[in-house]
Amino acid sequence: MSDQNVSRRDFIKLGAVGLAVAAGARAITQADASEGVKGEHQWAMVIDQSNCTGCRYCTVACQARNDVNPDIEWNKVTDLGMMDGMMVYLPRPCMHCEHAPCVEVCPVGASYYRDDGIVMMDYDKCIGCRYCEIACPYQARSFNWEAFDGENPAVPEWGTPEVERRPRGVPEKCSFCYQRIDRGLSLGFVPGVDDEATPSCCVACPTGARAFGDLNDPNSNVSQLLKKYPSYRLRENLGTNPRVYYLPVGVVPVREVKTEG
Amino acid sequence: MKNIMKAVRETTITPWGAWLACLGVILCSALIGGIMVFWKGLVITNLTDLVPWGLWISIDLSSIAVSAGAFSLCAGVYLFGLKRYEPIARTATFIGLIGYTMAMLALVLDIGRPDRFWKALVYWNTHSLLWEVTMCVMLYLTVLLFEAMPILATFDWLRSRYPRLAERMEHLHYYAPVLAIIGLGLSSLHQSSLGAVYGVVKARPIWYKPEMAVLFMFSAIVGGIALTLLASMLSARLTPKAKINDALVERAAHFVGYLMIGYLYFRFWDWLAQTYTYEPGRTEAFEMLTKGSLSFNFWFGEMIFGALLPTFILLYRPARLSPFWRMLALAMIVGGVVAFRFDTNIVGLLTVISYLPGRELITYTSYTPSLVEWVTGLGIISYGLLAFSLGVKYLRVVDHRLTSKEHRPVEVNAMDTVRI
Repeated sequence: MSDQNVSRRDFIKLGAVGLAVAAGARAITQADASEGVKGEHQWAMVIDQSNCTGCRYCTVACQARNDVNPDIEWNKVTDLGMMDGMMVYLPRPCMHCEHAPCVEVCPVGASYYRDDGIVMMDYDKCIGCRYCEIACPYQARSFNWEAFDGENPAVPEWGTPEVERRPRGVPEKCSFCYQRIDRGLSLGFVPGVDDEATPSCCVACPTGARAFGDLNDPNSNVSQLLKKYPSYRLRENLGTNPRVYYLPVGVVPVREVKTEG
Repeated sequence: MKNIMKAVRETTITPWGAWLACLGVILCSALIGGIMVFWKGLVITNLTDLVPWGLWISIDLSSIAVSAGAFSLCAGVYLFGLKRYEPIARTATFIGLIGYTMAMLALVLDIGRPDRFWKALVYWNTHSLLWEVTMCVMLYLTVLLFEAMPILATFDWLRSRYPRLAERMEHLHYYAPVLAIIGLGLSSLHQSSLGAVYGVVKARPIWYKPEMAVLFMFSAIVGGIALTLLASMLSARLTPKAKINDALVERAAHFVGYLMIGYLYFRFWDWLAQTYTYEPGRTEAFEMLTKGSLSFNFWFGEMIFGALLPTFILLYRPARLSPFWRMLALAMIVGGVVAFRFDTNIVGLLTVISYLPGRELITYTSYTPSLVEWVTGLGIISYGLLAFSLGVKYLRVVDHRLTSKEHRPVEVNAMDTVRI
């Protein structure tokens, strides 16, 4: 009788130890997983609110180049109201967080970090559970509740599509126009400097309120702007470390960025 | 024609037939609803980008929760040696199997790409709680299938048609202790990870707390055992096919009463901690529960009728001894756990925290399930009720007279008993 009991108890103990080891091993690998791998480039965007006029060219240019359903805005511009006698706007692309909650929660790894810091979506892997949408603190993700099979009203006035349309049943979001960056780099262009390699929202901005570039390069326009002006990021208290920086109203003289860039 | 009329006239409506017809109607409409969801997509639901998880996920969470009787009772019977509860564990296993398949049905409806369901098993993001939940669901469902084999083997048709297969299936009972250990591991991981799915979401402060895992686990255990006891008692009242030992059920119900005290203790500390300091988003969501649009659910569904009153009934002997009051208390506990799951899911989604600087931080959104969500949701519940009813009628799912064979021949050494 006692023999049987002991062996059963040992079995449970063994099981418990095994589980603990597995959990520990996972915790260690997790620590690596949540740190995006740092590559040669670290792309970032700087949005100057003093020069943003709320024209929403960025939104439609994005919708054209990325073939986005007109009901969905990857780059949503919100009116924040009057401040110091001028209207203030907040354009919101995907923040491409260093610690992106969407990447952490995705069960199949359809959301992932690229070496250059871009938070990417693999639309073929996604099962459409929408956990990423719930986890994103910036509401940067939109779900394809229905198929987008009509004409894209933003095409061709604002550009021609450069990526495949997403199917029904997956969430989508801004990708920093990875296709323009990758193609541009392979052709020898510099993202943030040459339009061919720069996200379409930055190219479309008529006042030059959006800058794009490499944080690893101290001479890039984003590094220079962040050095020169005070900036903030959205919901910084969450520790997500967004790669989209905002220059608040009043710090950049109006139109100065345009002449520089 | 005359014959048909005669047949119609001679057909008497039995309660069983009416019950089946009723479930059948709901299931047929749910089938149509389900086909519409697959055909038209999730656009026909009232889910939005702000409330992407709605009624289906609440049903999924609830059916997983009330399936927890399977692992807790099997652990009690096979690991802690509470052998006399074995017939109850049998019922719980069957309910667990039904509950998990119900959850799978809800998930297949809910995910945007049901055709890619298998990808969750192939592509692993081991960092994701939802990955862990998926794995545990699949593995535990397999364990439950094995555990339920001896029950399925009691099907008379199977026994007469394929006696050797039935015998093999019954033989799996010998592995019950091993299955109970695996099931305990997988299911307790799963139940708590399901809470942690919410508990790790920093963007929703009402969810972002470690006790989510504990609360989900504890509420599942009470809800699961309560549903098992309730279903057993109810079946015994409705059909002579189900036979229960009321004294056994009464003792188990008494135990549920004590567990409820533990559950209330955790809920109380969770509640108190949340009222302590103002935390943007969390406080507003909590006020929505206690004073706002969910306050009825919270106070009556979760607290008064869902926890306090049934705890009192189950711990107060004269009330517990009355089958009516006992059943009522068990039903209220199940309702309370379902309300807890529903409220937890919805309160975090309805409270929207703005990412905009210099704007009102918190806004509220709303969600009312669409007709197709209700119809398919009710269909999932009807499937569960149908499966259990058929089990009671044909598989002796609720039969407390059943005494199964020992797991292994036990060699009794007379000397052992002396040495205590």
